[in-house]
Amino acid sequence: MVKVKRNAVKNDAKKAARKDSTDSVVEHDSPDEDQSDLEQAISSTDDGFEEPSPVRKDPQPTSASQSKLKPKKNKFKDEAKNVKPPTLEEMKELRDTRNLFHSNLFKLQVKEMLEELQLKTKYSEFIEHWLESFTAFAAQLKDGLMEGSNLEVPLRLSQKATGFMFSKPTRDPYLIGAASTGTLLGPKIVVDVALEMPKESIHKEDYINLRYDQRRALYLTYVTERMREYPEYAQDLFSFNYFANNPLKPVLELTPAAKQVTKHLQIRLFITAPLNSFKPGRFVPWNNNIRPAFYKDEWDEEEPLPSTQHYNANVLFDLTLSENQKHLDQFFKGKRNFQDGLLLLKVWLRQRELNVGFSGFGAHILGSFIVYLNQHRVLHQSSSSYQVARTVWNQLANTDWTSGISLAPTGLKADDMEKVAKHYDVVFLDVTNQYNLCANIPLHLYQRVRAEAKLAVDLLNDTKINSFPYIFMQKCPLYSRVDNILKITNYSCVEQMLLLHSKPRVKYDYADYGYPQLLQLLTELLQKGLSERVQAILPLETATVAWPVESEAPAIGKYIQLGFILHPDHAYEVLNKGPAANDDPEGAAEFRRFWGDKSNLRRFQDGSITEAVVWGTAQDAPFKKRLIVRQIVLHLLEHHLQVDSKDVQYIASELEQVYRLSPWFKVAHLKTKLPIEQETDSEALSPHVIRCYDELARQLHGLDELPLEIVSISGTSPVFRYCEPQPVLPQARLKGDHILATQVQQVVIQLGQSGKWPSELTALRALKTAFLIEIGEKLEAQFRLKWSITSEGLLVLKQGFCFMIQLAHSKELALVKQAVTDRGVTTYVDNPESRALEREHHILPKVSGALHSLHQTHSAFGPTVLLAKRWIATQLLDEGLWPAMATELLVAHLFQQRHAPQPIASPQAGFIRFLQLLSHTDWTSELILLNFNNSWQEQQIADLENSFRTDRQSYPHLVVATSYDQQHAGRLWTSEQAPNRPVLGHVTKLARHSFEMIQTSLMSKDLRFVRPAQLFRASNEGYDLVIQLKPDLVPNTLCYDLGSPFVSFGQPNFQIPLAGVDRLAAVVSQLRSAYSDFAAFFYNPHGGKELAIMWRPPSEFAPKPFKVNEVQACTPCDNGKVQVNRETLLEDFKLLLKDFYLRIATPEELRREQREHQQPKRYFNNEKEKETEKDSPKPKKQKLQGSAKTTPKTKKQKLQGTVKTTLKPKKQKLNAPVTTKLPKQNRTIKASTLSASN
Amino acid sequence: MVELDGYTVVPLRTAPDVQHCHSIYMREHFIRLMDPNKPKGRTLFLLNVPPYVTEKSLKTFFSQVGTIEAVEFAAKPGKEETIKWYEGAQEPFSTTRPPFVFKVAYVVFEKSSSIGKALALKSIDLFKSSGECTIKSGMELWHEDYEKRFLLNAEKTKAQIRKYMIAYDKRERVAAEAAKNSEADADGWVTVGKDGRNAGFEQKESVINRVERKLASDKKTKELKNFYTFQIRESKMQNIVEMRKKFEEDKRKIELLKQSRRFKPF
Repeated sequence: MVKVKRNAVKNDAKKAARKDSTDSVVEHDSPDEDQSDLEQAISSTDDGFEEPSPVRKDPQPTSASQSKLKPKKNKFKDEAKNVKPPTLEEMKELRDTRNLFHSNLFKLQVKEMLEELQLKTKYSEFIEHWLESFTAFAAQLKDGLMEGSNLEVPLRLSQKATGFMFSKPTRDPYLIGAASTGTLLGPKIVVDVALEMPKESIHKEDYINLRYDQRRALYLTYVTERMREYPEYAQDLFSFNYFANNPLKPVLELTPAAKQVTKHLQIRLFITAPLNSFKPGRFVPWNNNIRPAFYKDEWDEEEPLPSTQHYNANVLFDLTLSENQKHLDQFFKGKRNFQDGLLLLKVWLRQRELNVGFSGFGAHILGSFIVYLNQHRVLHQSSSSYQVARTVWNQLANTDWTSGISLAPTGLKADDMEKVAKHYDVVFLDVTNQYNLCANIPLHLYQRVRAEAKLAVDLLNDTKINSFPYIFMQKCPLYSRVDNILKITNYSCVEQMLLLHSKPRVKYDYADYGYPQLLQLLTELLQKGLSERVQAILPLETATVAWPVESEAPAIGKYIQLGFILHPDHAYEVLNKGPAANDDPEGAAEFRRFWGDKSNLRRFQDGSITEAVVWGTAQDAPFKKRLIVRQIVLHLLEHHLQVDSKDVQYIASELEQVYRLSPWFKVAHLKTKLPIEQETDSEALSPHVIRCYDELARQLHGLDELPLEIVSISGTSPVFRYCEPQPVLPQARLKGDHILATQVQQVVIQLGQSGKWPSELTALRALKTAFLIEIGEKLEAQFRLKWSITSEGLLVLKQGFCFMIQLAHSKELALVKQAVTDRGVTTYVDNPESRALEREHHILPKVSGALHSLHQTHSAFGPTVLLAKRWIATQLLDEGLWPAMATELLVAHLFQQRHAPQPIASPQAGFIRFLQLLSHTDWTSELILLNFNNSWQEQQIADLENSFRTDRQSYPHLVVATSYDQQHAGRLWTSEQAPNRPVLGHVTKLARHSFEMIQTSLMSKDLRFVRPAQLFRASNEGYDLVIQLKPDLVPNTLCYDLGSPFVSFGQPNFQIPLAGVDRLAAVVSQLRSAYSDFAAFFYNPHGGKELAIMWRPPSEFAPKPFKVNEVQACTPCDNGKVQVNRETLLEDFKLLLKDFYLRIATPEELRREQREHQQPKRYFNNEKEKETEKDSPKPKKQKLQGSAKTTPKTKKQKLQGTVKTTLKPKKQKLNAPVTTKLPKQNRTIKASTLSASN
Repeated sequence: MVELDGYTVVPLRTAPDVQHCHSIYMREHFIRLMDPNKPKGRTLFLLNVPPYVTEKSLKTFFSQVGTIEAVEFAAKPGKEETIKWYEGAQEPFSTTRPPFVFKVAYVVFEKSSSIGKALALKSIDLFKSSGECTIKSGMELWHEDYEKRFLLNAEKTKAQIRKYMIAYDKRERVAAEAAKNSEADADGWVTVGKDGRNAGFEQKESVINRVERKLASDKKTKELKNFYTFQIRESKMQNIVEMRKKFEEDKRKIELLKQSRRFKPF
């Protein structure tokens, strides 16, 4: 009905004129007009009316013609139904369904998760039972004097209390927190129970000087002692712990011995006091309840006593607990939807680790916030759990608690609220309007929670991704979200800071607890110094560990760990500009005081003369700039707090060393005009190559008289998108007819359209080659560039870089795809060759461009890829096992997808997240989508995901797809073989291991951050054979090398090979194609000199019946069966690697040799040669190669013989100087980086 | 000498003193549909030839038992396999090369008597009397390969291209003319090109699909579907069956979704 009506209205609007005339039909009733209008009416009905509407009054059947037309009209309408353009309603409905589906999918997943989280009845029954028994226990307690106790009172105070009178509780113990609201969360269920001290046991004067806390602790000790004597609890495990790392809040942690729950359940006993124990208003934020005299400090009588708002809140927590709990209980009781909503929020919070420690944002705040929102009618009684979570995030993101909100139904007057807000960073008052739930939360952490909430809402709104895993499943610990970490663990250093620099008022406020004092001290100082360089300074806390009740309470809070989230745009600025000296002399003086002798008066280009601190030069390499924040922090610590940089640990850029230029390579020997320093890395070297390439591109465009003009030039090598981990130096040169180059950069060009290209593949390729030759000749004639034509493309030498120019043509692709079916029909189907061609010539240029622009927006992208690639390579995984593009795209995924509110600013943090991604992703159920430029349609993504889910087998093990290769749908960058299932599993395991190593070193108080060598060196376990290659035939990598897992450091060989030759890669791909059924091959593509072999499982080598098609590499054995012989295969390897390998050994042999001699093994023939080589970076290859060329089997054995026999006695002498030299060099590097940063 | 399933098994030695070597399974080539390039009675079939063995080395070795017409490889026995093996590999300017895997070989002798002699051999020795292997491998091979494949002489290449293109143009011209004059050749076949009076349509998949689609839609418009009662009944039934199937599929999909995802956050 409505629809019809609306349509009528629409018709009204659109066809007003016509409507007029129809009306006139009714009124005027003139036959002529009637006829024409009827026809119009027919055309209008088919896009609007379904039936004669009740709105429109049935026109009188004026003429016969109308009745005649009626059936015809209907028929016409029926046919037109299919092609009817969608109406507004239809569109709306469609959109609604789509949105609904999206949230439906989300809902389904949420439902599944909530089912997983549901508390098992055995636990809830146990809790009920336990509470009953505990109530009985509390009831039988008797008043008494506490004399000497076996237990240690879990509170560290200087004065010991004597003669504590215990008075029995007058109120039954009750559940608090999650247990009470029905939102307990596994896997370790913590049930909180409160026991209230009776009012009588508290004296009037107990508010002052921590007496209350002492009483509370004693009460707890007494109860604990009685509990231990009580037969029902005798078996249970008793320990004390601090609640929320708060030394004034000891709680009893009880692990029940009952079998069914002991593993997963824990009970915490809180001691509280009734609200009326003290005079109301005693604990308002502006009151002082700890006198300076308590700490034997002197205080000026004239001055008002400093307020102790944080201590007051600490006491109020106990006093208001029962009221608050009642309020929450009333609300949550029986409301499954709200309980589930809170559960969701708790999962979200815990995955982000924002609720840990003294400054943590506890889940009870979220619970109270739900109640608050309900009171303010933002949440309704019938809201679903999903709506609850969503609304809370939304409100968290959009409200500001810094000016204060209150849970009390009556609210608080604005003036009072303002007064309260002055004393805390964040204010959320409880139902009594006294206790601030957020008293201990620093501003930065609160902002962080808000940012995370905002991200969650954004993720929910993005219909293109399934946001569920990002919000709930993915663990994103706080330390993985910060860019740099400052750790101060030195005890004396902390003591000194607290003693000399912490303000007394802060000390009283926190009752002399060190941690918040440090936090406040450091945050204030560093925030002022770093200002807009950081987005947040977050405390990284670990929860305290429980201790047995008999031992003394541990002192905590004597170390601190801060995480910095940097602002990528400002963090690496080299200059801190102060106020102008003449305009604002006071400001300038203050600036100078703050920065100390680092501050200088400087004149700037715009003529201003100001105080400024300079941390480096604008031309500094990125890796140096990344250490500026570190420099600032260390300087400030030293200048203001007299903390020596030796006593703190600042974790930033430690791992980036691995793509530094090897210190063994001397840049001074390089003949080049480019300004290259010895201390440089791949990242800093990339721009040189790119600049050279840009110039080459200009020259190519400027070539005269080419038959077809060059329309596009794109560099597709990783270096053009800052993703080449091995430094590219201008080393390439011409030697005779040969071009020597360590790396060849791929350039793909496209020519203008022409219809004259031949339609035969070979002819097309011939013409392409002719074109390239012409380009080469012209380049030489016009710009004097050296070139050489190869079967793959045109090699061009420019400024010491070597480029391979290839010509892309769409017709070639079509011809490669072309196939003729049995019926003689030409079809175009993808095959491996066409896929490779399309990837290299047509898709890679686009993806390369996209990644390049990604690096422009996120400058940490490139270096993160470098770290990731170096890591993959040092795990002995080469292109054939793990495609490098997969690494790049995975990292791009990290930067593109919004996993965190802030983009990653430091490569090291990016690398940690890369490891996290590798270790936690379930590749069988997830595919990585990169929607560059957002050009992928929602429907297409859904289709791909659908097909992926239903037809998983047809996809590779690791699926990465970008919006530029939609038609290949995840089969372009990875394949069934690379990475294959074992390799993917291996990488996952390695990543998990490395990730754990980083994690423990970060979170531990004593450990230092992992050394690169711990991560960037493969293990030598698990391989069956190692083929050592001749060290002089395989050039070393220019990267900082952390050594091979099999042999010790050898003399580096920086020889430049022939352009485009990678013998090891070539031979390994041959070996893989022939022998992958029997063995797997591993080597380090970055200058590895060993080929490690792992045999396939023994079943592959078992005898099997003779079959013509399965007889590869088999020799006959008994009973007419055949089997594969490992020895035969080994002979094959020897043949294929003739003159290239040094020897074949098992890893055990290599290990034993290393152990026996404690010296690395060297393979040089005489001592003299060795001596000379040590000085020159290039070993004398000619001699060895000459001998190698004429060494067939017999000589090789001799060589091996010499290695084993003649070298042995010499080695000791030989290697002594070298081995001592190595660590020394290492040390000098470290020292130099340190000195650079200081 | 070992016999296995009709095959004579002999070791393949690459050096005189080698201890472990591959076994080659030899027999006379015989299948029902003989390939004219591998004539009956004169072809020796070798199974399990290691990847590095070249045509030349086999030719050198087997020439001791008789003159050889050809040596050809294939990935596995079969009719088209030899053609597939060499596809694209022999074209100039192509970077494709035969796969590097274990393969089979066909040695075609001039005389059938050589087969017997070959089968009587004790081993296949791919080394010279000096003990040097006849197969190039390792550094030596790579050097040669690099020179030949990677570094082309520009002048020579240009001349080669010119020659090839002239030949190509000639071929094209001949084909075009043949298409134009549309005369039957000796066997009675007429070449039909894109141009000319009797131009046929291009035998491309896309073109054929378009034509077929058009035919199908033409047919559809002419066909009466809801004319007879049984047609209506059947179509209704069909509809219900399909709906059920869809429903089942959806259910399965959701099940799959549930299985493939974890829902445990910790």
